[in-house]
Amino acid sequence: MNILLLLIPLSLLFVAGAVWVFFWAVNHGQFDDLETPGLLPLDDSEKRRAPPS
Amino acid sequence: MCCQGCRAAAEWIEQLGLSDYYALRTAAAQKPARDADPETHDYWQTDNARHVIRDLGDGLRESLLLVEGVRCTACVWLIERSLGAMPGVMSVQVNAVAQRARVIWRDSKISLPQLLQGLARTGYHALPLDARGLDDLRRRESRGALKRLLVAGFGAMQAMMFATAIYLGAAASLDASTRDLLRWLGLMVATPVVFYSARPFFAGAWRSIKTKRIGMDVPVALAIAAVYAASVIEALRGSGEVYFDSISMFVFFLLAGRYLEMRARHRSCDLTDALARLWPPFADRKRDDGTLQRVGIHELRVGDCVRVGEGGIVPADGVLLTERCRVDEALLSGESAPVTKRCGELLIAGSVLEDGPVLVRIERTGADTTLAGIAALVGRASAARPQLQRAGELAAGRFVTRVLALTALTAAVWAVVDPARAFSAAIAVLVISCPCAFARAVPAALTRALGALARRGVLVVKPDAIQSLAECTHAMFDKTGTLTEVSLSADVQTFGGVSRDDALSLAATVARESRHPIARAIAAAHPGMQGASVSGVSTQAGLGVSATIGGRALRLGRADFALRKMGARENDEAVLLADDSGPIAAFRVTERLRPDACAAIDALRARGMTVLIASGDAPSKVASIAARLNVAWRARLLPADKLAWVAELRAGGALVLAVGDGVNDAPVLAGADLGVALAEGAELTQASGDIVLKGARLDAIASARDIAQQTLAIVRQNQRWALYYNFSAVPLAALGFVPPWLAALGMSLSSLGVILNALRIGRDETTRRPASQPQAPEETSPRAAAA
Repeated sequence: MNILLLLIPLSLLFVAGAVWVFFWAVNHGQFDDLETPGLLPLDDSEKRRAPPS
Repeated sequence: MCCQGCRAAAEWIEQLGLSDYYALRTAAAQKPARDADPETHDYWQTDNARHVIRDLGDGLRESLLLVEGVRCTACVWLIERSLGAMPGVMSVQVNAVAQRARVIWRDSKISLPQLLQGLARTGYHALPLDARGLDDLRRRESRGALKRLLVAGFGAMQAMMFATAIYLGAAASLDASTRDLLRWLGLMVATPVVFYSARPFFAGAWRSIKTKRIGMDVPVALAIAAVYAASVIEALRGSGEVYFDSISMFVFFLLAGRYLEMRARHRSCDLTDALARLWPPFADRKRDDGTLQRVGIHELRVGDCVRVGEGGIVPADGVLLTERCRVDEALLSGESAPVTKRCGELLIAGSVLEDGPVLVRIERTGADTTLAGIAALVGRASAARPQLQRAGELAAGRFVTRVLALTALTAAVWAVVDPARAFSAAIAVLVISCPCAFARAVPAALTRALGALARRGVLVVKPDAIQSLAECTHAMFDKTGTLTEVSLSADVQTFGGVSRDDALSLAATVARESRHPIARAIAAAHPGMQGASVSGVSTQAGLGVSATIGGRALRLGRADFALRKMGARENDEAVLLADDSGPIAAFRVTERLRPDACAAIDALRARGMTVLIASGDAPSKVASIAARLNVAWRARLLPADKLAWVAELRAGGALVLAVGDGVNDAPVLAGADLGVALAEGAELTQASGDIVLKGARLDAIASARDIAQQTLAIVRQNQRWALYYNFSAVPLAALGFVPPWLAALGMSLSSLGVILNALRIGRDETTRRPASQPQAPEETSPRAAAA
């Protein structure tokens, strides 16, 4: 059972990492508009500008 | 092509290589109603636009535009393309659902009016929204909610994993130290869930305790705090049961429900909130020479003289200079009956003028009065909680008190019978009967319905309207400007050798003072006399408008009104311009039935409603329209007569829905059970009525009624379901048959079920696009047709 002493902290680290990544994404507006990006693939013109930053 | 303008636009689109628009769009664009108001454009030319522009520093400016008519990818694409192609525009972000575009541009290269004009050429009428908001508040709220939800989700997963290990370990022989380790880990992952994710519940409970009203956050917060505290104590003591998994799951499901509801609320706010923010920031200031100047409200100074038109909003607190007028101060006082004000009395900012126009001398300016007006308008849309919801909240409040009492009773009884199980049974009762399902039943359905309606161009101003909409039996339509579109026919008959142009010019100058559809048609036909001093303006609802221009008393309107021969029936169908010496000119007005009128009325009739036309117009005209639509009618009605007819119908047990343009028939709309106003653009804010139809789409009424009925059905379903659930679950919990984790699961799922049920409103495709017209052939570009 000693392997638990390694695996559990590791899993907690992963969770902390995932939460950090998610917070980063939320703070950078990745979840602000969930509808419009869904429409964009319908636009098949090639010259489409990169999304404004 | 329907007109020269369309051809030009189509060619312009083709030239720019934008013809993909036709391939991409999913709905035929609506015809632009009319040209953008030139005055509005002048307005944005000046530096009045400051408060809608945010300075990002480094020469960059940002603005939020409400773009009318955005409904699909094609629109998003076209707007981003046409704006993005303009020099100096740094970024364009269009949100199709909220109909908003966020534009950042370089100030040295381009200005806001140029941007608006560019957009107008594409066919989208954009109005800048108040820049102060720029949605920061809402964005913070939704980001915060998402983070809390995620932390709760991860916490719940981890806690459950450790809890499962303990349960399984209890079967196999788990040694005490490992078990304690797992419990401490459970505590570790549940702590952020309780202290970070569940904070809104504690805050809500604290708020409701402070205001001495027991809200539904109280039992939730109590349950979370009690279970967490008990589990921490057990973990420290190293004995008994810990419930870190149950509590994390409980918080997670509750937050999930709230998140879904918040999104529905934001969607419905997107459009209704814009209505409030578009508070017309103009006022017509009278210069010393008597002419009017359009200025921003923030530029008004004490002592300025301001003209407010009929149906207009008083821009700042001031004293009435005109002899008398009636104002609606419902926004401020809640009193819906119009108040008569006499010369010298104070008018409050934000009150709506029922008859006019009047002159007001500004007494107080600055943030206090303007903000009061804006707050009042925002309040109009959101603060008035519908009766349905108030009843639901009352019931939920009583329910919470009973739950708390029941919990105490359970704890007391078990303390006598078996003290060891008292805590878990009491917690189970408290958790399982959290009235979330009950309390959410009504607001979840209502917010969803408001959003679904707003997406179809139906803005609900007074949320009570949903109930009346579902139940109304009669629909009374105004004719001119509602069922029909008005235009001035070229054929003008003049008297006494007046030239046609002079007559038109005079008539247009007078007509500018009124907002009746016919007056607008006349005003649109001629620029009118520039710089003329117009005084003594008064409008008589249903009759006409009179004004003095250069010492000459002019009247424009129905023949009997213009010639001051009441009751005369001569020259019935023309609009007459006359002065004291006799008639000057007669104008003929041609009316065209709105294209969707027939379908809209048929749809209402198919839903079992009686459709009526109440018009102030001549009987012959009303009869011909009514015959085409096959409905009952009455003609030559003054507003008072229309009201009397409404009262008559209501006395017979009918619930009357009145449809009008919201300005000229404000009293009728207010007198009916439900007033529906047609409006577009900046007039949205000025239209009175319980419901505003954007873009004058009559066919939306029938589908709105379907949604309203569906909403009521779902509300009833939700309430019944919440009641059944509680009646069956609480006794089991009180008897101690339900472990806390099952209680948490049952409660969360019941409230989640209520919210998911509410989200069904407006899902149905048949109610979504009731009148999806097949693409007209002239609107298909050659390229799209070939593809």
